Amino acid sequence: METNSNTILIFATNLKTERDKTIITTVLNNNPEIEQWSIDLEDIDSVLRIVSTTLNAKKIIQIIKEQDFKCSELSE
Amino acid sequence: MRTRDSNKEDIVKQKAIQLLVEKGIEGFSMNRLAKESKISVATLYIYYSDKDDLITKIGIEIGKNFFDEMTKDFSPTMPFKDGLYKQWENRIRFTQSKPLEVSCWEVLTHSSYGESILEESLIDFKIIMGNFFKNAIERKELIPTISKEVFWSMAYGPLYSLLRFERDGKNFGGGVFKLNKKTTDEAFELVIKALTP
Repeated sequence: METNSNTILIFATNLKTERDKTIITTVLNNNPEIEQWSIDLEDIDSVLRIVSTTLNAKKIIQIIKEQDFKCSELSE
Repeated sequence: MRTRDSNKEDIVKQKAIQLLVEKGIEGFSMNRLAKESKISVATLYIYYSDKDDLITKIGIEIGKNFFDEMTKDFSPTMPFKDGLYKQWENRIRFTQSKPLEVSCWEVLTHSSYGESILEESLIDFKIIMGNFFKNAIERKELIPTISKEVFWSMAYGPLYSLLRFERDGKNFGGGVFKLNKKTTDEAFELVIKALTP
């Protein structure tokens, strides 16, 4: 997948269960500004990966927090 | 602007292969890979969207390298004996020069990722080997009634047994086994005898 890494944003979250995943699935899939996203629940940081050319980290953190989850940006 | 560093990517790939062999799939973690590759977890997630994605991509890449090596100087129209010998040579060379990749391949293809990796990376290889098989039967260089599975185990089984002895340092009482040309040829002649009508 040749995506410009400028548009990839990475976050640590506290999502744990498949149910948590289902909750944000709806939210993220319904957001037209998110081109692609995935979450790795196997990872200790439950890493959320978002591809978007228009949203910034702050906005995404807000979206996740609105669902009552913790979210912080993982920086390089 | 953050750019992809292809050198970093290669280091990560090599480390991933090593960790998959050492820890197995269950024991493999993105966090540990990031640590051992000396990159941040965030950087790792730029290259791969998650553990599944990484494992699948690594598996497919090994499969494609495997395929390129197997078909070096090989053509499905070669006489059966020559073609099979070339296959043996290529597989021996690959196994001896890239033991880590080979071990990793075995781990991955025997896992739940196996099917998707094999499907993706070996499409062309299957076609070429299928044609090789067909041509040999048409030219009456190969027993016509042999089934594909039996063919494979006769044509390659002995070779892989020998390679495994070498890898495991098998000792049959004459010192640690090493696969050399003499032993290769000895086994090959018997295989050809068995498969030729």
